[in-house]
Amino acid sequence: MTDHLAIAPVLLPLLAGVLLLLLRRVDIRLRRLLSLGAVVLEIGLAIALTAAVADGDILIYALGDWPAPYGIVLVADRLSAWLLLTTALLALFALLYALRGIDASGRHFHVLFQFQLFGLAGAFLTGDLFNLFVFFEVLLIASYGLLLHSGGAPRTRAGLHYVVLNLAGSTLFLFAVGTLYGVLGSLNMADLAVKVAATPAENVSLVRAAGLLLFGVLALKAALLPLHLWLPAAYAEASAPVAALFAIMTKVGLYSILRVDTLIFGAGAGPVAGLLAPWLMPVALATLAVGALGAVASRGLRAQIAYLVVASAGTLLTAFALASADGIAAGLYYLPHTTFAAAAGFLIADAIAARRGELADRLDPGPTLPGNRVIGGVFFVAAVALVGLPPLSGFLGKFLLLRAALGHAWLAGILATVLVASLLALIALARSGSLIFYRSHGPAPAAPARALATELAPPLGLMLLVAALTVAAGPAAEYAQATASQLLEPSRYIHAVLGGG
Amino acid sequence: MNALLLAVLTPYLGAALAAWASRHGRLHAAWVAAAVTLIALALITPAALAAFAGETVIHRLPWMPAVGLTLAFRLDGLALLFALLILGIGLLIILYARYYLSERDGMGRFYAYLLLFMGAMLGIVLSENVIQLLVFWELTSLASFLLISYWQHREDARNGARMALTVTGAGGLALLAGFLLLGEMAGSYELSVILASGDTIRAHPGYVPVLILILLGVFTKSAQFPFHFWLPHAMAAPTPVSAYLHSATMVKAGVFLLARLFPALSGTWEWSHLVGGVGLATLLVGAYFALYKHDLKGLLAYSTISHLGLITTLFGIGTELAAVAGVFHIINHATFKAGLFMAAGIIDHECGTRDMRRINGLWRHMPHTATLAMVTAAAMAGVPLVNGFLSKEMFFAEAVSMGTHMRFGWLLPLAVTVAGVFSVAYSIRFIHDVFFNGEPVGLPRTPHEPPRWMKVPVEVLVALCLLVGILPGLTVAPILSVAAGAVLQAPPPAFDLAIWHGWSPALLMSVAALIGGVLVYAGRRPLFALAARWEGRVDARAVYQRLLEALYALAAGVTRRLDTGSLQRLLVLFFASAVVLGAAGLIDGDTPLTGRRPLLPVDGVSLMAAVGLVAAAIASVWLHRRRLTALIVIGAVGLVVSLIFVKFSAPDLALTQLSVEVVTIVLLLLALYFLPQTGPAESSRLRRMRDAVLALAAGGGAAALAWAVLTRPYDTIAGYFLDKSLPEGGGRNVVNVILVDFRGFDTLGEITVLALAALGIYAMLERLQLRAPERDAEGRPWNWDRHPPIMASLTRLLLPLALLTSAFILLRGHNLPGGGFIAGLVTAVALIMQYLANGVAWTHARLPANFHPIIGWGLGLALATGLASWAFDHPFLTSTFGHFDWPVVGEFELASAMAFDLGVYLVVVGATLLILVYLGLMHGASHPTQPAGEGR
Amino acid sequence: MEALLALVIGVLTACGVYLSLRGRTFPVVLGLTLLSYAVNLFLFAMGRLVIGHPPIVSEPAAASADPLPQALVLTAIVIGFAMTAFVIMLALKARAELGNDHVDGRP
Repeated sequence: MTDHLAIAPVLLPLLAGVLLLLLRRVDIRLRRLLSLGAVVLEIGLAIALTAAVADGDILIYALGDWPAPYGIVLVADRLSAWLLLTTALLALFALLYALRGIDASGRHFHVLFQFQLFGLAGAFLTGDLFNLFVFFEVLLIASYGLLLHSGGAPRTRAGLHYVVLNLAGSTLFLFAVGTLYGVLGSLNMADLAVKVAATPAENVSLVRAAGLLLFGVLALKAALLPLHLWLPAAYAEASAPVAALFAIMTKVGLYSILRVDTLIFGAGAGPVAGLLAPWLMPVALATLAVGALGAVASRGLRAQIAYLVVASAGTLLTAFALASADGIAAGLYYLPHTTFAAAAGFLIADAIAARRGELADRLDPGPTLPGNRVIGGVFFVAAVALVGLPPLSGFLGKFLLLRAALGHAWLAGILATVLVASLLALIALARSGSLIFYRSHGPAPAAPARALATELAPPLGLMLLVAALTVAAGPAAEYAQATASQLLEPSRYIHAVLGGG
Repeated sequence: MNALLLAVLTPYLGAALAAWASRHGRLHAAWVAAAVTLIALALITPAALAAFAGETVIHRLPWMPAVGLTLAFRLDGLALLFALLILGIGLLIILYARYYLSERDGMGRFYAYLLLFMGAMLGIVLSENVIQLLVFWELTSLASFLLISYWQHREDARNGARMALTVTGAGGLALLAGFLLLGEMAGSYELSVILASGDTIRAHPGYVPVLILILLGVFTKSAQFPFHFWLPHAMAAPTPVSAYLHSATMVKAGVFLLARLFPALSGTWEWSHLVGGVGLATLLVGAYFALYKHDLKGLLAYSTISHLGLITTLFGIGTELAAVAGVFHIINHATFKAGLFMAAGIIDHECGTRDMRRINGLWRHMPHTATLAMVTAAAMAGVPLVNGFLSKEMFFAEAVSMGTHMRFGWLLPLAVTVAGVFSVAYSIRFIHDVFFNGEPVGLPRTPHEPPRWMKVPVEVLVALCLLVGILPGLTVAPILSVAAGAVLQAPPPAFDLAIWHGWSPALLMSVAALIGGVLVYAGRRPLFALAARWEGRVDARAVYQRLLEALYALAAGVTRRLDTGSLQRLLVLFFASAVVLGAAGLIDGDTPLTGRRPLLPVDGVSLMAAVGLVAAAIASVWLHRRRLTALIVIGAVGLVVSLIFVKFSAPDLALTQLSVEVVTIVLLLLALYFLPQTGPAESSRLRRMRDAVLALAAGGGAAALAWAVLTRPYDTIAGYFLDKSLPEGGGRNVVNVILVDFRGFDTLGEITVLALAALGIYAMLERLQLRAPERDAEGRPWNWDRHPPIMASLTRLLLPLALLTSAFILLRGHNLPGGGFIAGLVTAVALIMQYLANGVAWTHARLPANFHPIIGWGLGLALATGLASWAFDHPFLTSTFGHFDWPVVGEFELASAMAFDLGVYLVVVGATLLILVYLGLMHGASHPTQPAGEGR
Repeated sequence: MEALLALVIGVLTACGVYLSLRGRTFPVVLGLTLLSYAVNLFLFAMGRLVIGHPPIVSEPAAASADPLPQALVLTAIVIGFAMTAFVIMLALKARAELGNDHVDGRP
């Protein structure tokens, strides 16, 4: 009996999406149930997958029974499972928030949502570079639909920029993949890793060019300086659950960078070993700095959180750029935290904006919100998480990161940037919170009464995940450590994919 | 059983409990808080007794053992002393606040915040692991933010809270860096290790940076000059909060850390000069400004700063005795300052103001409170028989002995005496201005004694001041020596707490300070006038504000410069990055661009085609503002591209490209109908130049890359496909077999993309009203006539033929050029012809107008085909095929992949038609005359 | 022949980049279309140039063109079509909602 566990998380959302498309006429409650059920099941599958790879096994799934490198293979290792699990958990709470009615405010929300998960899962699991491109396109086109969901002029403008820029990005992706195939004659990442290591001298510069172009595309997806400018507008304009789900999108880019950097251009890559290394750390620190400054400068709460997403991309890349087991592990521990925190931030921002009438999420003193204390309390916790203050896992992540940086040549720069960026985030969010919750005057405009409980439950759920990540910091960090060491030994991955090779 | 952990956690649980209890009556919260505090006390008692006996109790709980982060709690003399201060004074504060808070103030919230803070504070003093200590350190900053901003409606409260959070938070981050490096030097984050390895640390090259980082944390927290400015602004908090934060807790955390790390860091030139210097400066600045504050709490705030400076100076001096004195003054200051704040709170409470220019002669109205206040003030001034005197005496003595072995040593005793003079002066002012000095000036209400129990906490503190002041040996000596021993990590030196040491220089200094203080107060008028003139000249807060504004300006500037919200900016950055990265890859290394592969000869036709294509491409750029023309030219480009595919043996590509081309152009034509027919010339010459340069760079890069690859030999995995296609894939057309079999997963994703595009467009354009132009570019009115009859009938005849063709293409696709895509596109084109020729309404009457199910079933079929292989225990998308004998067609081969291809076909047809027909419907809707068709 | 194709790819890329940098949606869409032509040809070229040997298995097995890039290009063409369709429709939406066809919605 062949084990389909590795592909199940990819096919489940696809199946759910198709069913939702065929059942698009049935009662919305049924479709919601179906969509929710699929996501819950997806979490189960992600957990099962994580458990299956936790002890270091690498699951290979040869599609169509064609052996690598000829056919497409899915590869489930610790890293893939970790991101898959993060995505599934995030999706649950984003969806729960959407079920409050946003999903009915336009067509095909659930279909697009499920296909988005399909694209994400595929991107995390595929072991084939062109297939990665295809799944990037899937998750992008789904994200276009979700971003534009239930319209509005500013959203349309943001969407247009996002779409056009990503189309250009896809073109570059194809140039990069094509060059790699043209020089190395393969698309399977493990096979590429082998072939890259054996690049003859006359082809080195071509492989270098291809690798750097690929990095360019992935940097665009990961919103790294100077390619981060698309993010604030897009995330700030997207509807809350969509913005929350998008919190994982930049992580796809970072995941791919980490994968390519360790597998294909890692230490064992012979003539092109460490191709990306000189670019990563400067870009990472610059992104972090600009993101934090943007958060201070933002005039709207959602834009502020979006800029914090940029900053978190910088933080994560800083960790990965350390290129040590400890560094990568720190990043991998921090990744789910920052994803959940940002998502919670977007959801709360929406709850706030909905109660301030014309003012929406603009950072000006406004009316006293109904449920001021409760929302304020949740915001306070989320802010602590976003800044990465103790006692939540964000602090632990930064501690691990800085600890890993201790030996690094750039130690001073890293310490300064990370800590100052945290301070900036603290200043920015303290200001926002004080403006929104303290400097309020007069009652709120007669806004439609919204059920506070159902509205705050999803962000609270995300905060609970963060709390769990804090309490279970030991095991989580251990898993991250194991993942990092697995990444730094690509030979095992390669062997698993290519068999004897 | 981890009693210490529980003791730290209790206040947190208590906080929730208090918040909940307050729903059932205001005062419940107070009782809960008190109970919780007592429980915490009880929990630490067993360990406390051990600690009192001189041993160090340590409880551990693994958290992140891999990185040396354990939940480790430590109770030794110092921790014990602080725990007692925190809980003991906390208890008094709880009692006091219960009477202080008015009906309007939410009790639950107050006590919840207070307990949060108490827990954080306990965490700091009981931490064995410094990282864990830092966690609680930052928690005190957060909790103090909540406490200081308790009266949120007041702007000074909000700003004070944010300032405290920013300053102490920043210090905390510096502290984190310091602790990380410290742990690295000592090889552990555990205090017991760190305290034992002082020599290693001091010898380490990184000692000075670590010291500075840690001191940044200490100085910000303990409001040392120049970071002292946040403390007076924190006075906007309710007085119980000030009494708690600025006597026994918050600000004491800093000096606690000095004491805690004393064995590890002290005893170097840097230590004594940094710590001593800053401490001395703070001592003087605080004492000087305290005198001029008309606000009662303002005076106390600056005196707090000054006394913290005194303690810091003592640790800076660094001798064992100085450390003992430091600990002693921590105790004394905590007791008398808490009492003073409470007294100030009572006065404020009774008079409704804190302005000493208006509050006068309260002696007659509240003699009891006045007496209490006088004792505590005497302690603050360092008058004999009260506790403040003893520690100040020791301080003077240390200053003298330190001064004896220093250049300009005489300056130190002089400075501290001057500070003493001012502290006496402002203490006198506190008493004389408030309780005597004539009559009250226009008070909102007539003051009288507060409720009985509101004074009890003050009385307790006063009693302590006196007991310690009169019988130090019997009262404070034991705990002091235990604490001192813990600070020094060694048996404490012999110290004798007597009121009378004979005529020592210290005594003379005390006398001088007392006399001087009286004189200064007597001659205060000119001094006040002087101070008034200097008002705001030297203001650390102004510096802070300017820094903050500078930060906002910088952030806004950077962000605005980068993020202009322009798409062109995004694209330019993207293309530029791509060019830079590509160039960085290509240029590096001396590998030749041209490879060794034999080239194909150029033939005339290809040359013509290429020239034509290049010309067309350039023309499309040249004419892009005349949009229709540009579009047609682009169409030509597409056609030539498909010719290129034909030329280089890619029939499938040629067919696909051709049909996609047709559909795309039709689509763009329909769309153009809704867009301006011409574009304005708006980009500046400079921008056009920039874009041209960028475009040429990109084009050059692409060409170079293509050339470099084309001229190189390579070995690929392609051979495998050519070999296996027929025997194992069951098809001769290798490209198609790859699409539906070898890489069927790609295709699955790809049709998903197509389907999503259609659905996305459908969702996007819903409820969107497009207005059609009345006239075309040349101003000719659009022609709404019926569709040309000849074309109409022709297309109707053609339709079946086209459908047949597409079916044929679909079926043979596995073996000859063709397949699901091409067939689907041909069908789509054929149907689109009907729409174009006969109009949407006519066609809708005859064709299924709803394409969602087609897309859905197509995807479903593809997915099902893939899943079917599970039934035969094969991986997803495993194909099988067999040979069948059909009557007419003859020997015929059927592969499961064909079902997959059928799915592809359906999706392509459905998606393409959904997109185009939907747009066509908008045409219908936009036509003034024709009726709008139904959309779904 | 190779030089010719490289030149074509280069020109298409350059024109595509230039057009996609224009300020109005329609030329941007045209530019993206040109870019997709360019990249499709590029991807195709990665299988090198073979004349007269389509990758269709015939009885006398002859050396034929590399089928893999052709399959990739076919996928790329369809995806490109989907994306072009989406972006042009989005351009219409933008025109209708922002009141003009400038990419930033400012006239």
